[in-house]
Amino acid sequence: MLKKIECIIQPFKLEEVKEALKKIAVEGMTVTEVKGCGRQRGYTEEYAPDAPIRLLPKVKLEIVTEEEKVEEMISTIQSLAKTNKIGAGKIFVIPVEDVLRIRTKERGRIAID
Amino acid sequence: MIEKKKKTNPWQHALQQLDEVAKRIDLEPWIHKKLRHPKRELIVSIPVRMDDGSVEVFTGYRVQHNITLGPAKGGIRYHPDVTLDEMRALAMWMTWKCAVVGFPYGGAKGGVACEPTKLSPQELERLTRRYTSEILGMIGPEKDIPAPDINTNSQVMAWIMDTYSVDRGYSVPGVVTGKPVVLGGSLGREEATGRGVFFTLLNTLKHLDQSIEEKKVVIQGFGKVGSVVAKLLHQEGAKIIAISEVDGGIYNPKGLDPEKVKAHRREAGSVVGFKDAEFITNEELFKLECDILIPAATEEQITEENAPQIKANIIVEAANGPTSPSADRILKSRKIFVVPDILANAGGVTVSYFEWVQAMQGYFWSEREVNLKLRDIMTRAFHRVLDVSLREKVDMRTAALMVAVKRVAEATRLRGLYP
Repeated sequence: MLKKIECIIQPFKLEEVKEALKKIAVEGMTVTEVKGCGRQRGYTEEYAPDAPIRLLPKVKLEIVTEEEKVEEMISTIQSLAKTNKIGAGKIFVIPVEDVLRIRTKERGRIAID
Repeated sequence: MIEKKKKTNPWQHALQQLDEVAKRIDLEPWIHKKLRHPKRELIVSIPVRMDDGSVEVFTGYRVQHNITLGPAKGGIRYHPDVTLDEMRALAMWMTWKCAVVGFPYGGAKGGVACEPTKLSPQELERLTRRYTSEILGMIGPEKDIPAPDINTNSQVMAWIMDTYSVDRGYSVPGVVTGKPVVLGGSLGREEATGRGVFFTLLNTLKHLDQSIEEKKVVIQGFGKVGSVVAKLLHQEGAKIIAISEVDGGIYNPKGLDPEKVKAHRREAGSVVGFKDAEFITNEELFKLECDILIPAATEEQITEENAPQIKANIIVEAANGPTSPSADRILKSRKIFVVPDILANAGGVTVSYFEWVQAMQGYFWSEREVNLKLRDIMTRAFHRVLDVSLREKVDMRTAALMVAVKRVAEATRLRGLYP
């Protein structure tokens, strides 16, 4: 079973997370600069229920992997992306039906190896 | 050693619980009366040829309390204290446990009165096969599905499955759960009860707006359940400050490493003697300064004597019936948040249910899939009970029983009374 790990983290954590993933043999990933908010709606200091939603810059990492590697990856990302403050981010695990490597037409697990 | 106290008759205890809930939910008298009586009870004599050539006769039981929602489900235990009343109570609690998590199962329990540590593996196999043969007409994948309990394991389940299959003339993996994986057991079954307790505790902390980190946890029992709970909590940053077993416990206010304790136990046969800790008795264990107490041993460990001295403000019942009825009243008046056994330790029957589903389909899931589904079911059951507890302003035990009895009652009402 293939899974996609999609995580939203603080931009200043990206380097560390990227290097650690390389060490546990993650071959490929996609990184996007994104904007978003969580339960605090972009506000960290005060509770302001009527204020407009504020979107803060974040980084999104996407990695497709085999199911057996998911736990190791999410614990690596979790321990490094942790900031002890709100807004450290989230990790989503999503089922992937199939993968195709365009150059070789390989499909499935061999397409990510 | 814990002094042997006179235990409450478990069946009287179970009936009393039912009576109280029946009153609270305004249960129709005919359904109440029906639920007070087990559906079927079988007492069997089990002659076993011992290794020295002599023959011993043991007494075994299988009680099906209720099968309104589906086939009966419940463990088989080998223990000298096994009695008919204990089986009845445990069977009734299985009915409630299956109903509270929402499985299409009724409740059962079985056991053989024996001292398994005094039996050789061969004697244990002959005992298991003869017991299975005596209760054969009562069990089956659509009728009643046994599982491991105290002093029974996946090997015992394999023998039961084999005995049943030989009688039928074909393999019937769905007749028991808790089998070895190669015979159709489920991945994740061994750790299921402990993992379920762990999820329940996380849900409890979330509800109480507390974090797991640095929480001081005391665990009574370090077997199939306690050791798994300890490992998972330690991984999440909780501090396991004390662990005990029948012969006493170990205490270190700075926290114990469950993996190291486990390694020590493998060599020494008990947690006692672990080097980074001091010795404590089981009685002292209950008086320790801590945040969370997890009884994961046997019945009636929290009594009216030690209940007033418990310092924890959260108790998660990993064992079956660890709190005596009088102790329960004390905990309630002290406003300690108690997550009852039928909810907290339902992880075992949950993965048993998964195993049965997988066996019926002949299609198997990955361990990750099992654990995720387990978390989902435990979390939904927790909130179902919590909602009732908050709405009706009752403790979690009463709320769990209300959810369970209502569900069985609704099914009974819909099916009606035959003829």
